[in-house]
Amino acid sequence: MIGKEKLFELFEKVAKSSKADETEIVYIGSNFGLTRFANSIIHQNVNEANCKILFRTILGKKIGVASTNSLSYADLKATLSNSIEIAKYQKDNKHFPGLPGPEKYAEINTYFESTAAYSPKDRARQVKKIFIRANKRKFLTAGAFATGDGEIAVFNTKGVSCYQTVTNASVNIIAMSGTSSGYSVGLSRKVEDIDAVALADIAVEKAYLGKRPKPLEAGDYEVILEPAAVAALIEWVNYIGFGSKAYIDKTSFLSDNIGKKVMADPVTIYDDGLDQSAISMPFDFEGVPKKKVYFIEKGIGKGVVFDRITGNREGVPSTGHGLTASDHGQGAIPLNIFIETGNKSLAEMIASVKRGVLVTRFHYINGFIDTPKLVLTGMTRDGTYLIEDGQIKHGVKNLRFTDSMLRAFSTVKGISPERQLIPSWWDSVGCIAAPAFHLGAFKFTGTTDF
Amino acid sequence: MKDKLNNALDWLKEKKVDYADARFVRIESEAIRVTDGIVDTLTKDVNVGVGIRVLYNGAWGFAAVASVKEADIKKTANKALQTARASATTVKEKAKLAEVKAYKDHYKSPCEKDPFSIPVDDKVGLLMELSDRLRSDSKIKTAEASADFYKTNKVFCSTEGAAIEQDIIESGAGYTATSYDGKEVQKRSYPNSHRGDFATRGYEFIEEMKLLDNVDRTREEAIQLLTADDCPDAETDIIICGSQMALQVHESCGHPSELDRVLGTEISLAGGSFMQIDGLNKLKYGSDIVNIFADATIPGALGSFGYDDEGVKAQRAPIIQNGLHVGYLTSRETAPIIGQTSNGTMRADGWNRLPLIRMTNINLEPGEWKLEDLIADTRDGIFFDMNKVWSIDDKRLNFQFGVECAWEIKSGKLGRMFKNPLYTGMTPKFWNSCDAICNRNYWHIWGVPNCGKGEPMQTARVAHGAAPARFRKVKVGVSK
Repeated sequence: MIGKEKLFELFEKVAKSSKADETEIVYIGSNFGLTRFANSIIHQNVNEANCKILFRTILGKKIGVASTNSLSYADLKATLSNSIEIAKYQKDNKHFPGLPGPEKYAEINTYFESTAAYSPKDRARQVKKIFIRANKRKFLTAGAFATGDGEIAVFNTKGVSCYQTVTNASVNIIAMSGTSSGYSVGLSRKVEDIDAVALADIAVEKAYLGKRPKPLEAGDYEVILEPAAVAALIEWVNYIGFGSKAYIDKTSFLSDNIGKKVMADPVTIYDDGLDQSAISMPFDFEGVPKKKVYFIEKGIGKGVVFDRITGNREGVPSTGHGLTASDHGQGAIPLNIFIETGNKSLAEMIASVKRGVLVTRFHYINGFIDTPKLVLTGMTRDGTYLIEDGQIKHGVKNLRFTDSMLRAFSTVKGISPERQLIPSWWDSVGCIAAPAFHLGAFKFTGTTDF
Repeated sequence: MKDKLNNALDWLKEKKVDYADARFVRIESEAIRVTDGIVDTLTKDVNVGVGIRVLYNGAWGFAAVASVKEADIKKTANKALQTARASATTVKEKAKLAEVKAYKDHYKSPCEKDPFSIPVDDKVGLLMELSDRLRSDSKIKTAEASADFYKTNKVFCSTEGAAIEQDIIESGAGYTATSYDGKEVQKRSYPNSHRGDFATRGYEFIEEMKLLDNVDRTREEAIQLLTADDCPDAETDIIICGSQMALQVHESCGHPSELDRVLGTEISLAGGSFMQIDGLNKLKYGSDIVNIFADATIPGALGSFGYDDEGVKAQRAPIIQNGLHVGYLTSRETAPIIGQTSNGTMRADGWNRLPLIRMTNINLEPGEWKLEDLIADTRDGIFFDMNKVWSIDDKRLNFQFGVECAWEIKSGKLGRMFKNPLYTGMTPKFWNSCDAICNRNYWHIWGVPNCGKGEPMQTARVAHGAAPARFRKVKVGVSK
């Protein structure tokens, strides 16, 4: 950790020498460790101390961006110069409203010393518990246990100087028999919240339940989607639907559907960076405070998130979802998504199904088929089961689905009262707090051999 | 730099490690993107650091630091050693490495025009012209053009005495038009979707791309797609274009032939593989005309290099020969398990990441056909062009891919255009239905700049040589 005072002292010094009209400096530093295991041994065990310092310099309406991972004064000065040189080559960005000024930020605790102090030895100890637990029932495991700490600072010459320290801990576990697998996942800012043994038990039980899976014909089925499965779908819905670029480009399902019914009444999805039950963060990478944004409320399309440039283009203020300057071409993206809970427990859902499929998670989803209709495709993975007459009958071989989420989430029969934090599949930042969903119809279009 | 790395390695040798290597990497990158006449991305990044990998008592540890100071490198060596010690508490069988020659060499990728010496104005000007011409029709809602350049300097040293420096330049560019008519949204790209085409070459690669020559056609096809018919649900013969064949090879042959996936060590994220070791030299992966090689030695291809990140020299190795599965992509640790030596595919995406088995240039060898003859030889079918959607199960069997655009083939002639085309299948059945591949005149090595793998996630730049090919009785449609 460099620390707030030291960082801002350095940035003030560098920014003072800037010849740009406005200068922004964003710092993202981290110490990260990940212990990866497969076949119930640790086979990869890595540590990384890294940082990124991004300069955004403004000449009129021209924007230059340059970055480095060196905090030396000379390298910072050189990067600042690079950024100004780039701005000189730029064309005017008519949508750029200027850098923001200071605002009041919520005070939230996102740093836990216990997570920051967690060592490779500590992670190995937890991972060994997973092996022992699974081995008792003759299962092998694969997965990863990660811990890390970091600091994020946003500084600009218009007076913004916000700073936050963060920690993260996560584990994913796949338990495997010869014919089946089961999955569990945990995520928190606080490593003590990760109960590796309990999560190992869940993964093992799922693998046990799915032993010797039977084939199931593709077709329309009633489904129960566990939180990881729901989060995987909504992660794609977010990627192609909740961001400002997709909205402006008209590729989002929300582009022409604000105020219109898009899903069933019980479906409410929003972003809340300040809710400390998830991976909260008080400001975005432009130094704008996070605002709560509803995407779908009681089934009605409500809105998307904006950064300062895309917000100005659409005549609305930033919602505090700006990415780092190097990623501004992607527009604003939500990183703290919550799905409203319901009152039907997973057990009640299963008991109410005459014939249907229980899905633990999905794999390799892709949503570029027809983005305004939210058509996604993907495979089930690590625990797919047939439900008959209110009971789980047996595991089934994995299935491919191809369906419109507008259609599927218009058939909601129940939502669980609890939700679980599910980390992003492809990104180390962001998560979705998802409950389980009971859907009346979900279209499986293919099968596989395992 | 070599002295600093070797000092850390000498210290590790004193600590009785089984093996260690140290990599210095400096990556300079430039990204430019123009959207609707506005330069929304113009960034330069410099990323420098050292990663140290230690094998101690048969277990691995890795640590990396964003510094080149000798004291930081030594501290990082110690962190890697302590981490390997923690890993060693779970070892069942000690990791052993295949013997390799300890090379001392300096490799440079071919480059006629350093892209970083081309004035930014020229690069922005080209993308601006592309964007302007793409959006010259009001039905084009968004016009994006982008270019990316990377300059990498790597120094690799090992406790076995290897000392290898590599300088690699990578360049790529492409554009996409998004059309919209109030209800339908469609995209068309050139020369490929997902940021275009890439190579380990200089700016001359961009100049050879014929970007301006294809911009009007791309715009018009994006508009035509708005009123095109939906791809029908059917089982039919299909011809797949070269760039989509590259994606097909990538997902259904490249990934499942990575030996680490086969051995289960990537299960936690990307999954395993159906190409199991007991099927080596037995599995009829494809028809007799299917030949796929991994070849990291092709000058200028995106997956080419001098040495991998274990110091193994770049090689050409067969994966599929006459339809038979004959090889894997391997590393020093995995190759001995199948009685081989490494074929040099271990790469990390930076100093801060552990090398993993990654695709190099995984190429489908060309066949004999002219494309026009192949279309004329197809009575009823569909021609699929340029990737839009990719999805495959975690053992790489059931796949479903979609493309930007397709055309009906009727009585040997291209007919009406289809939108939202998808095709799906099971990998070995699909490849065994391949009955024609176009010849070398239609063959191109497509750079894929965004191959994800590993935890933490790494993005590799790989490539695939491919030409259009025909497959019989494939399930198409299923998009609704």
